[in-house]
Amino acid sequence: MDKGFIDRIGKELLFFDGGMGTLLQERGLKTGEVPETWNILHPEVIRQIAREYLLAGSNVVSANTFGVNSFKCKNLEYGVDELVGAGVRLAREAIAQVSDECGSSAPRYCALDIGSLGKLLKPLGEISFDEAYNAFREVVIAGDRAGADLILIETVSDSYEIKAAVLAAKENSDLPVVVTMIFDEGGKLLTGGDVASATAMLEGLGVDAIGFNCGLGPEQMKTLMPQLTGCCSLPIVINPNAGLPVVVNGQTMYTVEPDEFAKSMRTLVEMGASAVGGCCGTTPKHIERVVRLCGDMQIKPVTDKNLTVVSSYNHAVYFTRKPLIIGERINPTGKSKFKQALRDHDMEYIYKEGLTQEEKGAHILDVNVGLPEIDEPALMQEAVTGIQAIIDLPLQIDTSDTVAMEKGLRYYNGKPMLNSVNGKKESMESVFPIAKKYGAVVVCLCLDEDGIPETVEGRLAVADKLVRTAAEYGIPKKNLVMDALVLTISTGQDNANITLETLRKIRYEMGLHTVLGVSNISFGLPERVNINTAFFTMAMNNGLSAGIVNPSSEPMMSAYYSFNALIGEDEQCMEYIESCAAGDAQAQTPKAAPKSGLSLEEAIIKGLSESAHQATVKLLEQNTDSLSIINDMLIPALDVVGKGFEEKKMFLPQLLMSADAAKASFEAIKTTLSRQGKSSESKGKIVIATVKGDIHDIGKNIVKTLLENYGFDMIDLGKDVDPELILKTVQENNIRLVGLSALMTTTVVNMEETIKLLRKNNADCRVMVGGAVLTQEYADMIGADFYSKDAMGSVRYANELHDRGEL
Amino acid sequence: MNIKNSDLKNTVQKKEIYRYLGYGANEPADAVRALADEVLSELLSVIKPKSIYRIYACGAYGSGVRVGDMDFKSSALAGNLAQCNKAALFAATLGLEADKLLQRYEIVNMAKASIAQACGAACIEAYCNLLQEQIRLAAQEAGGEPLYIRPRFSPGYGDLPLETQRDIFRALECTKRIGLTLTQSLLMYPTKSVTAFIGLTRNPQGCHVGKCKSCKKTDCEFRL
Repeated sequence: MDKGFIDRIGKELLFFDGGMGTLLQERGLKTGEVPETWNILHPEVIRQIAREYLLAGSNVVSANTFGVNSFKCKNLEYGVDELVGAGVRLAREAIAQVSDECGSSAPRYCALDIGSLGKLLKPLGEISFDEAYNAFREVVIAGDRAGADLILIETVSDSYEIKAAVLAAKENSDLPVVVTMIFDEGGKLLTGGDVASATAMLEGLGVDAIGFNCGLGPEQMKTLMPQLTGCCSLPIVINPNAGLPVVVNGQTMYTVEPDEFAKSMRTLVEMGASAVGGCCGTTPKHIERVVRLCGDMQIKPVTDKNLTVVSSYNHAVYFTRKPLIIGERINPTGKSKFKQALRDHDMEYIYKEGLTQEEKGAHILDVNVGLPEIDEPALMQEAVTGIQAIIDLPLQIDTSDTVAMEKGLRYYNGKPMLNSVNGKKESMESVFPIAKKYGAVVVCLCLDEDGIPETVEGRLAVADKLVRTAAEYGIPKKNLVMDALVLTISTGQDNANITLETLRKIRYEMGLHTVLGVSNISFGLPERVNINTAFFTMAMNNGLSAGIVNPSSEPMMSAYYSFNALIGEDEQCMEYIESCAAGDAQAQTPKAAPKSGLSLEEAIIKGLSESAHQATVKLLEQNTDSLSIINDMLIPALDVVGKGFEEKKMFLPQLLMSADAAKASFEAIKTTLSRQGKSSESKGKIVIATVKGDIHDIGKNIVKTLLENYGFDMIDLGKDVDPELILKTVQENNIRLVGLSALMTTTVVNMEETIKLLRKNNADCRVMVGGAVLTQEYADMIGADFYSKDAMGSVRYANELHDRGEL
Repeated sequence: MNIKNSDLKNTVQKKEIYRYLGYGANEPADAVRALADEVLSELLSVIKPKSIYRIYACGAYGSGVRVGDMDFKSSALAGNLAQCNKAALFAATLGLEADKLLQRYEIVNMAKASIAQACGAACIEAYCNLLQEQIRLAAQEAGGEPLYIRPRFSPGYGDLPLETQRDIFRALECTKRIGLTLTQSLLMYPTKSVTAFIGLTRNPQGCHVGKCKSCKKTDCEFRL
């Protein structure tokens, strides 16, 4: 049996092909014409180009399928299946011809070529991860069926889109997968990722080779190469452009000549590339010279860098001698407010916990959203994607529900951490397969069917079992982090000693990284922080790689920074000094000392959140009725600001500062009410959305904030919202008022569609509209009940309806 | 193109930021000014603006204009480019970091979010202004004669349809080169982005920029 691509890559030097676009233009492809249609219209040209590359010595030719996907081919007369199938077949035919003519001793493979969809993924963009996955899936199935030997995902620059493509490739075919990405000269993907973060994710997902293509010439790739060889344990594929683009008379040109190109490629092979080829501007001539100059070279052996690493979309975090902080606060255990937030689907509460921990110096955030009465898998997916939209830190998916676990891992952008598996057979059987599939670094608890071993030896035995079983699933030691387990010293005076000794042995004798939920040590004792801090330092000194702690605890963080400075892991003690400075600054900020003596009304009118909060707390302490605080102070103050805004004496930022202050006041009231087992009264539910096709949502969010201030319950459907979803929400919740926002004349059409749909289905609700391009006239024309020219308009309208009892 | 964030810092007009926030001729209160300074400097510390342009020969013919080998049917664009024998297509974006920052602010502080929105708009404008001067210089150097620029003209202006976005994206390879994407409804992600035609003319009068005064929408809230 012939050796396949997978048997050769990383063992012998292979040559890919070069550019396609310029060659097609030379043969008559016009601006605006879709290159892949030539698979059907001019198959002889496509076959000929593949032939030329094969004759030049390419071992891998890419099928002409780069731009085929359901997004880009929407208006073509050919389907994805047809274009991909034809493209792969033409490459196959060229391989067969050349092998007939020149003998089949040289390996020749056909790659299904997959490029970007040209769309940005949610949460920041337009299409969902699943939509992206499905688009790639269609291409993979067609290419596999037509006989591709491998899948080449190339010229991609969004790690999330890449993940969708890789999953589509691996779940729908058994073909080897190669991913080459487009980096800029600074080593960044266009969506912000770097070489280390992208490599960590792709190794985790189990692709077969990684590399660079397009964007840069060989010289710039030489500069980036050490970053890749430093962290990559897989074969490396390098396909540069023929230099950086130069524009002459509106045409893009690439000017590095074949001989010069070949010389650079020789250096890149010496630096560690296992396969080389070209991209834009390279021709069969370039490849021929590369093959001639490098054909006799041996590749550098591919070695395992043995790094324990997790990543977010934009950076990697390594487990090293210097310990890491894993923020523990996104977790409902023992927190009634957090539990309530989960029940209320208050995502903002969760995101704020994340932002605070990031600010306080966490490196990784633990995410646990488990409560018996909620749909944990759905919430896990929403929390993971929502947090990743605003926070750059890697996440640790923390759940015992394997469905939630898989959701969290699948929709995660990067290489995640997973909490946790333990030595029970059932746990290992359910967790290890998904950990392997998504490349997670798994926290392994040293307990099993017999409970938590009381001895060091007992825990080490479980650790050993976990390592061996993980290996059976193909999970290497570097992707395991051992939790030596912490039991409180209040119930056993040797508990700390056992944990510390276990930690030391795991770290230094078994050679694995470690993690601990540090504060468990002090359960049942007074002034827990004293014990926690001392224990944290002791643990770090005994080989703790990462502490799951509360980064807002200053003593804990002081212990952390001090430890790093003491072990020589803090250059010139800079981090330590900075942490002290941050502490001082905090003590001195006026924020910590709000202007006392301001009444609640004054605080809200001036837009001072801290003062408003403080004034409210004071009023509540004096037993002022919460309803009268709201109706006699808070709302009148907001009215003053609102009126000033409408009279153009006050402006949007002030209005919103007052809104934020009112919110701080509400928080205080809510806390008191929930302590009394009550909840605040609602003036009615309102659905709000930015209409389909429109992606601007700040205006809508401003309106939402203000309406919340006035006591309305808001159901926010977000932006780019389908009319059907609005109708469904209205019907299911008996909604009497809908707010719609649109910013573009082109999307007001969808506003009209939404109103029509609501009317057609006899939804018993009013519709208020707003947005930059709207006018009263326009609003009347599309059948809206109310046109709100600014944010206060909607408040007035909603209040009127409420007062008339129509909401 | 080598425009640094410090260049943006030096050219962003605070007045523009306040105008976008609806202040008109009014001066914001001190607290708002301080907040605006804080937000602007945070925005400038995270964004990584990117741009791309190409210069084409162009010729207007009344109801439309030919730019390179592309044809655009729009008398408004033809009017804008009437005196030009060259035109640049360009695209610029502040990048995803601006959108991310905005989302963060929307969670913790709506006032800051509204200000960040205005700062983003002012920054992309300032960035475009710096870029178009670089484009002018590059074209001037290539042509060996003084050139002046016409006001930027974007898809959606006058009778130039939004569909023109597709042509610009194709010609400039916006997605691959600068990470700009187009939605089905022809809006752009990242959101703080601009695409436009920039006419280049030998006629010094051509560079007259009427700004608000040349606009027919006299009831606009942002009119100066």
